[in-house]
Amino acid sequence: MPTQSEAQGRADDIRAFRAELDRLQAEEVLVLDAGRRDAVFAHHEALLASLATRFDIDRDSRAKQLSLGMRVASFLGALALSASVFFLFYQFWGRFNELAQVAILIASALGSLGLTVWIQGRDATGYFTKLAALVAFICFVLNLTMLGQIFNITPSDKALLPWGALAFLLAYTCNLRLLLLAGIACVIAFVAIRMNAWNGISLWHTLERPENVLAAALLLLALPLGVDHRSRPGFAALYRVTGLLCLFVPMLVLGHWGEGSYLDWDAKTIEQGYQTAGFVFSALAIAIGARRDWPETVNTGIGFFVIFLFTKFYDWWWEIMPKYLFFLVVGLTAVLILVVLGRLRRMARSRSGEEAP
Amino acid sequence: MKSWSRKTTLLAGAALIVLANGIALFGVWGNRAGEPEAVVTLSERELTLPYRGQRRENSGLALALNWRVADREMVDLMYSYPSRGGTPDWLDADHMAQLGFNVSGDEGDASSAAQRRYTRQLSRDVLVVLEVDGPVWRAALETAREHAVRHEAAAAANPGDKEFANRAKNARESLVREEEFNSRLFAIDAGLDAAALRARYPDRQRYLILKGTVRPRTIVRDKKTRFSGYVSDLAVGAINVPHALRPGIENLQARYLGVSRGQEGRFTATVATGQRLEPWLMAIAPVAAAVPPRPAVKR
Repeated sequence: MPTQSEAQGRADDIRAFRAELDRLQAEEVLVLDAGRRDAVFAHHEALLASLATRFDIDRDSRAKQLSLGMRVASFLGALALSASVFFLFYQFWGRFNELAQVAILIASALGSLGLTVWIQGRDATGYFTKLAALVAFICFVLNLTMLGQIFNITPSDKALLPWGALAFLLAYTCNLRLLLLAGIACVIAFVAIRMNAWNGISLWHTLERPENVLAAALLLLALPLGVDHRSRPGFAALYRVTGLLCLFVPMLVLGHWGEGSYLDWDAKTIEQGYQTAGFVFSALAIAIGARRDWPETVNTGIGFFVIFLFTKFYDWWWEIMPKYLFFLVVGLTAVLILVVLGRLRRMARSRSGEEAP
Repeated sequence: MKSWSRKTTLLAGAALIVLANGIALFGVWGNRAGEPEAVVTLSERELTLPYRGQRRENSGLALALNWRVADREMVDLMYSYPSRGGTPDWLDADHMAQLGFNVSGDEGDASSAAQRRYTRQLSRDVLVVLEVDGPVWRAALETAREHAVRHEAAAAANPGDKEFANRAKNARESLVREEEFNSRLFAIDAGLDAAALRARYPDRQRYLILKGTVRPRTIVRDKKTRFSGYVSDLAVGAINVPHALRPGIENLQARYLGVSRGQEGRFTATVATGQRLEPWLMAIAPVAAAVPPRPAVKR
C-alpha cells in the first residue's frame, strides 16, 4: 500500500505526463489514436479516484495551491491555539486549590493527547491532526512547567526528556514535521545542557559555550543514516537541516567570538580556526548533498558558505573600501558563485549520462 | 520505520504523561516528607508581592525572594535600593576553589593570562546560605546610620549648599529604607555539601540553605586584583502562595517609601525548606494595623 507522499507523487506524475503528452501531440512527435488516448485517460482517472478515496491528494495545480494555504493556516492556527491554552491556564489557575490545579494540568495533557489520536483517525488531510498535536504538546509542556511553579521545584533539564519523547511519539505516529522539529529542539537543548551539567555548570549558561551544541549536530546528522525514513517524507531532511544548523551556527558565532570557546587558546586563533572550519564544512555539505541528492543539505551548505564568505569580506574590507567598491566585490563574488554552481550542475548532468547544453 | 497503531500511541503517550507527573510529584513529596530542613520567619521585606499589572494576566500569586549580598563595591547603592546578587568579601580565591573553580595562576598580576582564564569560567551550581535578620543585616543597618550621621554633619557644616543638603536627605531616606523596607535576608556563605553547611550554621530558624549560582569575577582590593565570585541567582527565585493561604494577603500592595503608610502592606510568612532544599510557604498573615491609642476619657 502506498504512503500519502507516494500517492501524491503518482498524482503529480500523471499531471506532468498529461501536459507533456499534449505538447508532443501538438508538435506531432507522438500522436496517440483516440482509443489508446481514452484508455490511458480512463486508467489514470480510475487510479486518481482510487488514490483520492484513500489519501488527501491534490489532483491539479489549483488544489495544490489551496493545500499550501491550508498548511499555512494549520500552522498559524496551531501556534495561536497553543498560546490560547497557555494564557487561559494562567488567567484562571489561581482560583483553584493545588489538587484541582494538578488534576486540570494532567487532565488537559491526557485529554489533548486523546483528542489528537481521535482526530487522526478521522482526518485524512492531516491539518487538524497537526493542530491538535501541537496543542497536546503545549499542554504537556505547560503541565510540567506549572507543577514546577506550584511546588517551587528547582528547574531541571530533565523535563526536556518527556517533552521530547511526546513530541517524537506524535511526530512519528501522525507524520508531523512540526512536532518532529519540537522534539529535535528538546534533544538539542538537553544534549547542550548535559554537556555543561556534567561539569557542575549552571543550566542557564549553556549557550555561553556554543560548542555545547556541536554534540547535538553529530547526533542529528547521524540519526537519519541509521533509521529508514522513506515512509515519512521530509523527516530525514529535517534532521539533516537542524544538524547542519547546530554545526554552522556555533562555528559562525565562535568565528567572531573566540572568548566563547572551551579551547584555552588565543581568541584570534580560535576565531580563525572556526572561520576555516566553517568554509571547509559548508563546502563538504555542498559536496555530500550533491553526491547523495540531498537538496536541503546543498542549500544549507550554500547558504552558510555565502554567510561565512560575506562576513569575512565585511571583516576585511568594510572599513577600508569605498562602499561602491565593497558592494561591487560582493556582487562579483555572487556572479562567481553562480558560475561555479552552474559548472557543478553541468558536471552532475554529464555524470548521469545527459549531454551538457 | 513502522507506525504504531492509534491505540498504542495513546497508551504510550498517556503512560509518558502519567510517569512524568508521578516523578515530579514524588520529588515534591520527597522534599516535604519528614522534618523540614529549615523553618524561618520572613516578612514583606524579604518576600515581594507582584505588581498589579503582573496579576492582570496571571491569577496565580508568587512572592519574589528578595535577598542581598554585603558587597563593599556597591555600598552606596546597597543602602538605598539593594539588588539581588553581589560580590561579598567571603567569596575569595580559596572559597571559589572549594566551589570547583580553577584558581590556578597569579591573581595579582593584572596582565596575567590567568585572570582571563579565571573569568572565562562559567557559572556553577552551588548551595547558598542565607541569614535572616542576623549580624550581617545589623551591620548594614549600623553602616546606614553612620552614613546618615556623616552626611547630616557635612550638610550642617555647609549650610546653604544644595549638594550637601541633597546627600543628607538621600542618606536619611536610605536609613529609613534600611530600618523599615530593605530585605534582611543576606547570602553569607556558599558550598557544595549541604550537611557541612548545616553543621556550620546549625540554627534552622535563622539560616536557610538554597540552591543558587556563583560566577567568577575579579575585584580590586588595596590596589591588587584578586579572584572573587559573584553570587548571581537562586534556583527558586519566587515562592508560590498556596490557594488556602491567599485570602490573608490577596489584596495587599507592595510597600514603598513615601507611599506606604503605617502597617499597610505588611505581613509575616513562615517559609520552610525540605530535603531537596526547595522552599514552600507554610503560613502567611497580614500584620494587623496598630490600634491607635484611645484618648483618655475624663471622668
